[in-house]
Amino acid sequence: MNPVDNPAILSRSQESRTPVESKIPSLRPVPAPIHPHGRPLPKYVTTPPTPPPPPHLDDYAGIIGKQQIETLHFLAEELRGRRVKMVNSTAVGGGVAEMLNRLVPMLSELEVHTQWDVITGGNDFFEVTKAFHNALHGAPYELTRSAQDIFLMYNEQNRQRMNFDDDFVIIHDPQPAALIRARNDHAAKWIWRCHIDLSNPHPDVWQFLRPFIEQFDAAIFSSQSFARQLPIPQYLFYPCIDPLSEKNKELDDTFVQKICDDFGIDRSRPIVTQVSRFDRLKDPVGVVHAYKLAKKYVDCQLVLAGGGAADDPEGAAVLQEVKDAAGNDPDIIILDLPPWCGLEINAIQRASTIIVQKSLREGFGLTVTEALWKGKPTIAGAVGGIPNQIIHKLTGVLVHSIEGCAFQIRYLLTHPEFARRIGTAGREHVKENFLMTTNVKRWLLLFRILSGQKPVPIPSDTQSAA
Amino acid sequence: MNAPNTARKLIKPFYFNTSEHLLRIGRERACTLNELLHALQVCPEDSIFQHTYSTLQEHHFIRQGFSNDFAHWSLSSCHEPILAEQLASVDVREYTSISGLRQHMIELVRDFLAAHPRSADRSATEPFYFCAADLVVLPTPFVTNNIESFLEGLRKVTLHSIHHHFIEARLRLRLMTNDFSEWLKEEAGLEQTAAAIDRIDIYTNTMEGVRRQIARIVEQSLN
Repeated sequence: MNPVDNPAILSRSQESRTPVESKIPSLRPVPAPIHPHGRPLPKYVTTPPTPPPPPHLDDYAGIIGKQQIETLHFLAEELRGRRVKMVNSTAVGGGVAEMLNRLVPMLSELEVHTQWDVITGGNDFFEVTKAFHNALHGAPYELTRSAQDIFLMYNEQNRQRMNFDDDFVIIHDPQPAALIRARNDHAAKWIWRCHIDLSNPHPDVWQFLRPFIEQFDAAIFSSQSFARQLPIPQYLFYPCIDPLSEKNKELDDTFVQKICDDFGIDRSRPIVTQVSRFDRLKDPVGVVHAYKLAKKYVDCQLVLAGGGAADDPEGAAVLQEVKDAAGNDPDIIILDLPPWCGLEINAIQRASTIIVQKSLREGFGLTVTEALWKGKPTIAGAVGGIPNQIIHKLTGVLVHSIEGCAFQIRYLLTHPEFARRIGTAGREHVKENFLMTTNVKRWLLLFRILSGQKPVPIPSDTQSAA
Repeated sequence: MNAPNTARKLIKPFYFNTSEHLLRIGRERACTLNELLHALQVCPEDSIFQHTYSTLQEHHFIRQGFSNDFAHWSLSSCHEPILAEQLASVDVREYTSISGLRQHMIELVRDFLAAHPRSADRSATEPFYFCAADLVVLPTPFVTNNIESFLEGLRKVTLHSIHHHFIEARLRLRLMTNDFSEWLKEEAGLEQTAAAIDRIDIYTNTMEGVRRQIARIVEQSLN
């Protein structure tokens, strides 16, 4: 049945909901976007839902085990009453804010009192920091005296406005990096958490920022390959996902079925899915070609679910290229979804037989983490942080070409036992290394180490065994 | 199998601890096998520990095909299956010090490059970034002074605790054994049980599988 003709879908905003429907965000009467093949999308994808309250630590016990929660409490014991300040440049939007929204209440629940402050600045400041961001990723840029002055002036304004009497001050990304000049007045430990790839920075911008970074007690990067040589200790904190978020929590199968029905996805046949923005670096056109090569041998549908086309001219162009590549194939389902459709993305991932992330360039690749967490056999490009997550043939498969991707789709669809095995191992990999609770543990370990608790020495021939 | 009086109170309690590792990014980096050989010689011991011992904890859920990071990189980025197999065959439990383990790794790479000189400077598809582990040892609520409660603790502690007592212990004890076997032998008089636990193969088991095998062996000692 076409979803617009389905009264169950149109009545989702009504008070009386079935248990399944109550998981679906409420509606506002706005026009539905148009499906590339002429099928209107359900109206609920057009309205951002109210975010649910953050979960408590004990809510994670069913996922990671009670003993892991106890480990967090043990780690936090010596830090109880200490104060932590997190500083970044935005309260909403983006991965850093999303992560802090979860991390701050979790640390506070462990009685490591954590406050999150956001720096302020004019448009000129954020234009400069945006340019710095791009330049640190290697984009061409001319660093002017004026840009440096603007950066320093707003950092100084924020330094005067904010208090730094905490035990740990964590500065996220380059925008507030010059706040380190406040450390002369206090005994706090200062940590720079860099979320961006510094492997190939613009030399002038890096030389400008470097003297500030070197004054921190430690730096944290998201991948070994993103780091720079610095005279301070550098730690590796992988990005992580929240297993209780809309995008990752367990879902009733009836809800998954409903979403598939709404989007015209046939669960009785294999489903190959890529979830990502319509961005050339995610190679959605390459995925269409890989699907077409694989389909000569195996029956399957392709779902390309993403966003970025509505508010980004380049995204719209890429979406058009994908539609052109797809042609009239009714088994290719292209969904341009807004960012608040976490539940729907979750359901599509859970319905999928295989998940693909054929990126040509990538940061860490959290969509891969999400796929692995759902136990899905995952095929991904061997770029950026993806090889940290996918150990080839053990927790997923890595590919380097359209042909390689096509072959792996065929192989996984025809070898379900192997697919199941790598899917299971992939989920365990995420559970061990890439969940929010592991991230909390890393922060507690770092606070303890910086507080003077010496790590246990590895015994060598010159040391006596402990 | 030996059958002790398990009801008797054992003299010295067993404290289940756990160790948590924080990954530090090291200075060394290798883009070729020659560079790997050099880095193996100069990197700090906690880097060798990270890429052999700690990596087993991070990948405890893999039953086969993952031994240490050097072997994995030799295969996945250098495409050298012979060296990868040789490095993968190194069992960390045959060493009671990091220096002995390091020396063996160096010899394997050096011998391989002597036999395959053209492989020495071929670029890897991805660099090997040396990291290091900072360890923090923590207590758990489980303390035991008899076999029944030992089994209970064994079943309830985290897999990090099993790794701490069963694998990392050799570096602390400087003996070719582990904390569980040592306690069962010295305090409970279960010599054969201790020896059977020592023979568990960690490279063909997940850490959960290792836990189950230890429990099964200890249960058999009660019969």
